[in-house]
Amino acid sequence: MNKFDIQIREDGDHAVIETAGYLNDSLGEQLSEKARELIKNGYTQLVINLEKTTLINSIGISILIEIIEALHEREGALNFCGLSDTQERTFRMMALAKYAGIFPDEESAIANL
Amino acid sequence: MKDSSDPILGDGLQQAHETQNTAERTMERLIFSLSELEHLGQTLISGYGNFNHSSKTYLRITLGTLQVTRGVILRYHPTGLNLDVVASTPERVFPPIPIEPEEVDNLLQHPYIENSAPPAGLQEFFTRSAELIETVDVRLWVPLKIQDEFLGMIGLGRFLGRETLEEWEKELLTTLAHQISIAIAYSQMVEGIQSEKFRLFMLAESAPQICQLLEPEDAAEQVVLQAVSFLDANAGALMLARPEQQELELGYAFPETLVESVQYNGNQLVIPCGEDAPVSPEATSVDMLKSVVNDGIPGHCLPESDTLFGGKNLMAVPILGRDGDILGVLVVGDKEERGGRIAPFNDEDAVLLDSFAKQAGVAIENAHLHQEALEARQLQAEMEEARKIQVNLIPDNLPDILGYEVAGYYEPRGAVGGDYYDCIPLPTGRWGLAIADVSGKGMQAALLMATLRAGLISELSRGENSTSGEAGDEVPPATMYLELTEMAMTLNSLLYASGTEEKYATFFYSHLNPETNVLTTLNAGHNPPLLLRKDGTCKWLGEDVGGIPLGMFPNDMVSSIAEYEAEHIELISGDVVVYYTDGVTETVNIEDEYYDEERLLEASKACKDDSAEAIREYLHDAVVNFQGEADQFDDLTLLILKKK
Repeated sequence: MNKFDIQIREDGDHAVIETAGYLNDSLGEQLSEKARELIKNGYTQLVINLEKTTLINSIGISILIEIIEALHEREGALNFCGLSDTQERTFRMMALAKYAGIFPDEESAIANL
Repeated sequence: MKDSSDPILGDGLQQAHETQNTAERTMERLIFSLSELEHLGQTLISGYGNFNHSSKTYLRITLGTLQVTRGVILRYHPTGLNLDVVASTPERVFPPIPIEPEEVDNLLQHPYIENSAPPAGLQEFFTRSAELIETVDVRLWVPLKIQDEFLGMIGLGRFLGRETLEEWEKELLTTLAHQISIAIAYSQMVEGIQSEKFRLFMLAESAPQICQLLEPEDAAEQVVLQAVSFLDANAGALMLARPEQQELELGYAFPETLVESVQYNGNQLVIPCGEDAPVSPEATSVDMLKSVVNDGIPGHCLPESDTLFGGKNLMAVPILGRDGDILGVLVVGDKEERGGRIAPFNDEDAVLLDSFAKQAGVAIENAHLHQEALEARQLQAEMEEARKIQVNLIPDNLPDILGYEVAGYYEPRGAVGGDYYDCIPLPTGRWGLAIADVSGKGMQAALLMATLRAGLISELSRGENSTSGEAGDEVPPATMYLELTEMAMTLNSLLYASGTEEKYATFFYSHLNPETNVLTTLNAGHNPPLLLRKDGTCKWLGEDVGGIPLGMFPNDMVSSIAEYEAEHIELISGDVVVYYTDGVTETVNIEDEYYDEERLLEASKACKDDSAEAIREYLHDAVVNFQGEADQFDDLTLLILKKK
C-alpha cells in the first residue's frame, strides 16, 4: 500500500501501465506523464492495471478521465483491469466505465482493446 | 514609393473597392469567429468539462479567430495563490506563477493590459512571469473573470500582419475571454460535483463494508484508508483510546512511515490525554488530540504546529461508541489539490469525516465485540478443559484412616478457581493432608495446581524415604519441622519457576501420624484451619507461624521476608480440624456481608460432635444458607478431620 510505483510494458500496438500504491495527485501525475509519453510515441491502445492500487482519491479519478479523453481524441482505447469490487463500482458510478472497458485481468483487458 | 493604384480604376473607386474587400474579409472572419464560438460552446458542454484538458482547444480557437501566432491561458488557484499555465503556444511546461491577492484585485480592474505598459502594482507580477512572457512573446493580457471572481488570464502574442487589434477584434476577444471564463467556472463546478459525487459514493460504499470487518486491526486499517481516500488526504491515523490509562495509542497510520520520525515509548505512539496531562505552551497536534478526546468535538492543526506527523495540515474527529464513549480519534492530514497543492480542510470536510467517524465507531466496536466473543468462546472451552483437570486432581473418595474420620467437599462456583485438597497415604502409615488455593483461573490455575500436587507427592515420597521409615517410629519434631520447611521451600521454588504470571498458591499441609496422633502442620499463606477441641476450646492453626504463599517470591527472598515454620499438635478423641478455602469465609450474602471466620467458628461449634461427614454437610449448608440469592464467584472447599 505504501509502495508507489509505475511499470510500463510495451507490446506491439498496445502498452500496459501498472500502478502500485495510492493513486492520488502524486502517483496520478506520474501516471498521466507516462500515458502522455506513450500516446506521443503512438500508443493509442492502453491498459491500466490497478491490481496493486487499492486506494484512489478523486484527483486520481480525474487524472484517469483525462487519459480517457486524450485517447478518445486520437480514436484510441483504454481498458482497466485488476480493480477491486469497490473500485469497479466507483468507476461505474463516476462514468469511467462508459468510456473505458473494465476487465478482471490483464490478458482479457488486452484482448478486448 | 511604388504606386500600387489600379491604372484603370480611379483613386476614389479603388479606395471604395479596398474598403469593400476589407469589409468582406471582416465579414468572413466574423462568420468564422461565430462558427468557432459555436465550436467553443460545444467543447464546453462535451466530455467531462475538464478545463485543463480542453484549454488547448480554447487557445487554438482564440488564436485562430484573432489571427494571433502565439498565446497562453493561465488558470488561477486561490488555495495555492498561483497561476498554472494550462495551455501555451508554443507548447512548453512552465512552473506555476505566484500571485498576491492585491495583484488579483488589481488585475480585475483592467479589461485589457498592454504587456509593454503594465499598470502600477503589477510590475512585480510581470517580472515573475518574465520567462513565460518572453517565450510566448505576450503583447496583450486579458483577465478571465465572472463578475468579480478572478479565474485566470489569457495572453496573446504577436498579431499577424498588424501591431494592434482593431476595436471590433477587441470586442471579439472580450466575447472569447468570457466564453473561456465560463468554461473555467463550468469546469470548477463539474470538478466540484465529480469530487462530491466521489466522496459521497465512497462514504456510502465504505461505511457498510468496514462494519463487516471482524478483526479490529482490519477495521482500523480500513477506517484510516477510506477516510484518507474520500477526503483527498495524503495521510491519516487512528488513535485508539485507552480510558483506564487515559492514553491514546496509535491503531493504524497511513502511510506506515507517518510516525517513523516520532519516538514515543519506543516505537509505539502513545499520548497521555488525561485532564492532568501536560499541555504545551503553544497548541500542537498533541494538544489537538487531547482536546478532541476530552471535549468530543472536531479539531484542526496547522502544519507548523504538527509535532506528531511531520508537519501536516490536520483535521481530527472523535470516534464514538454506541454508548457515547470515545473509542478513539480519526485524523486525516494534508488535503490534496491538483498540481501538488495542499488545501485546508473546510467545514464540509469536517461534517463528512464526522459522519464517517460515526460508522467507523460502529465498525470498531463490532470488531472488538466479535473479538471478545471469540475470546469468550475460547476461554469457555479452556475453562471446561481446566475444570476436567482440576476435578481429576481432587480425590473421588477419601481413605479410611485408622482412628480418624475424614470428609471432603469441593464445589465449583463461577469461573474455574484453583482449590485443591488431598489426603495422601504415605509408606510409613502416616498421612499427608493438604489444602490449597491456587491463584488465577482457568487452564493456568489448573496447570499450576497439577504442578503443586505433583511436587507435593514427590516431596512426600522423598521425605518418607529419607527419614527412619518404619511405621510407628516417631520422627523427632525438629526433624519433622526441618523436613516440612524444606518441602515448602522446594514447592515454593517449583511454583516460582513455573513461568506463569500469577503463579502462587496458598497452601496448608498437615502431616498426621495416626499412631501417635501427632499432627505436624505448615502454613504457606493459607486460611488458618480451625481446631476444635472436644472440650469446646479452639485454635486457628498456623495463624501465627504462617509463611507467605508458595511461588510468590524466590527462595532467597522468602528467607528474608517470612520463613516457613512448622508446628505440631496432639489430637485426642473428639477433636475436629476444619480445613477450608477462602471461598467459605468470603462468601457474601445479598447484604454484602462476609460469612467470615466468626460465623465459621460458630457453625463448627454447633456441629463438632457429629461425624466428619455430618460436620461437612452442616458447614456446607450453613454457608449456602447464608449466601441466599447472592452470586458467588469462588469455589467452596472443605476438608474435615475428626479424631474418633
